[in-house]
Amino acid sequence: MSSKTVIVSLCVSVGLIWIIESWATDVFLEATRPDFQKIPVGVVGIADAGGPDSPEGRIKLGTRIEEVLKADLRRSLVFSLVDVAGLGVKASALGTEPHPSFKQAAEQGASVVVWGKAGMRSEDKDADVNMEAYVYDAGSDEMVGGKRYVGSPSVARLMAHRFADELVFRYTGEPGIARTKIAYVAEQGAARELFVMDYDGYEPRQVTADGFLNLMPRWSPDRRFLVFTAYRHRNTQTIDMIELATGKRWTLVSLGGLNITPTLSPDGNFLAFASSYEGNSELYRMDTRTKAVQRLTVNAAGDLSPTWSPSGRELAFVSDRSGGPQIFLMSGDGTNVRRLTFEGDYNAAPAWSPRGNWIAYVCRTPRKEYKLCLITPDGQKRVQLTTGPGVDDSPSWSPDGRHLVFSSTVEGKSHIYMINADGKDLERITHTGTHNSAPAWSPAS
Amino acid sequence: MTRLQSLIGVPLVIGSCLLVMAGCASKSVRSGGNTAASKQDRGVSGQEVPDLSLSGQDGGSLRGLDKNPSEERVGSNALMAKADPGSAARQLDELRAEQAASAAAGLRDVFFAFDSFMITEEGRQALSRDAEWVKSNQGVQLKIEGHCDERGTSAYNLVLGEKRAKAARNYLVELGVSPGQLSVVSYGKERPFCKEHDESCYSQNRRAHMVVKGGR
Repeated sequence: MSSKTVIVSLCVSVGLIWIIESWATDVFLEATRPDFQKIPVGVVGIADAGGPDSPEGRIKLGTRIEEVLKADLRRSLVFSLVDVAGLGVKASALGTEPHPSFKQAAEQGASVVVWGKAGMRSEDKDADVNMEAYVYDAGSDEMVGGKRYVGSPSVARLMAHRFADELVFRYTGEPGIARTKIAYVAEQGAARELFVMDYDGYEPRQVTADGFLNLMPRWSPDRRFLVFTAYRHRNTQTIDMIELATGKRWTLVSLGGLNITPTLSPDGNFLAFASSYEGNSELYRMDTRTKAVQRLTVNAAGDLSPTWSPSGRELAFVSDRSGGPQIFLMSGDGTNVRRLTFEGDYNAAPAWSPRGNWIAYVCRTPRKEYKLCLITPDGQKRVQLTTGPGVDDSPSWSPDGRHLVFSSTVEGKSHIYMINADGKDLERITHTGTHNSAPAWSPAS
Repeated sequence: MTRLQSLIGVPLVIGSCLLVMAGCASKSVRSGGNTAASKQDRGVSGQEVPDLSLSGQDGGSLRGLDKNPSEERVGSNALMAKADPGSAARQLDELRAEQAASAAAGLRDVFFAFDSFMITEEGRQALSRDAEWVKSNQGVQLKIEGHCDERGTSAYNLVLGEKRAKAARNYLVELGVSPGQLSVVSYGKERPFCKEHDESCYSQNRRAHMVVKGGR
């Protein structure tokens, strides 16, 4: 290839990247823009239509589901919750049709009205749960539609999550995050095991039970697998993969030395990871189909923590080639390396936003606190997102790019927290256990 | 595996020793290139791995709101832990055996300053005694665990832990210990000796911990 052709094709590809990226930004919803107006929604209620008995009395299934639904709508950042008690309607009095008073909902500030009911199908304690809920658009005076769910009592929360995601989808065309999961590491005695919980911290389930260390899980793009660092043989690290539905496990990488920070590309075709197999920690990528391994960095310093851009074309990573750890960028094949962070002497654990516009990372402040920072991939804008004492670590983005989860020792023990990408609504989502860390947010389905 | 490690180990150890002693950043750069094939034989799984490329097929997708909704069953998508009940107990037994053997040998650990993997004068003294013990016990395998305090990120501390363990190993080799008797592993900040959030604890956790390896 002549140098002229190279230049021409380079220009074409740069132009193409630019077109794709600007196109991508345009289709993404305006909800990440600061001037986005949330859609005011009034939840009349989810009526209790017969719940199972428990030692504390009859469980109010509708009330429970309503709480979950409201929390989901609030966290969606697409909707704002409006009190519609002024309409004078009770959910238990409603059927599948909107009440005539809903026409006045807009005056109460609600442009969308939601109601429904939930209960056990029969008195049998193993009976299925029914939930139905309906949506009326006050702005257009139109019945939008509804959903009818059935399932075991154990999926009652999931019904609320599913309905919340349907609402987000109806009004934004995006799948919503209420059914997403968070993988994390929890201390179990002397061991650290992988767990998966709902995005709101409920329904934690143990995934590994090795009795030793399992670290830094990442999801496969189809949400079926986790890749992570395992010390099954205690004296060596391997990069393993586990299938969540079956517990089936594979060892993907077992080179000598460190085998850490694995992450799958957005299309699943490459596994990027760090290994010290050839001396010091370097970055590699493995073709997940052919298993061919390609070395991406050649450097006397430590390179680690790769994170893919949403297009899969670039990687951000950590290197201490210039002294302390800093964030660098490079192409997915290891070319075109450039340094991204210059402020401070310790910047690590980068996570590229699924919208592409920010890279979250851990920055050490002048007061030697480890906090979350955001930087644009062109390095032009930098924001410190969290403040206060303690060590914040392992930021991971929600698939809608509006939230982050991370671990923090701000309250003593390490727990998992959620925060909006604008720094608001800090919420602790793990409340039990002695040490919860390394959260990884699943893709949306 | 051990043969290959010692092949790589010797030049690496010499290079890293110089680095540690001089305290400068000029480590010999190992070129990449022709190693992919051997890695495939050695370090990359031969197991059949499921196709991970995203096909767009997904069972959990939304079906939309409907004016006359039909019943939709919500499944539990249960996750299963394939627990190996023997595994945790086995790990504990091995750890206890290692601890007992290490205590009986009277091995000394090496401690480090914040963010540092430089061996201090005190560390050298500890390593001199450890070196004597290993040299007079030719059959023994010594594992050097790198540990860090809780400050900083999990991932970077794994790299720092490895640097600490390797610095200790390199000094032992310099004192005449056979590299074949030594191995390193980094636990970063994931297996702290002390769990309080203060310097008295942090200084205990920044260490290269010497362990007499079990019968593996």
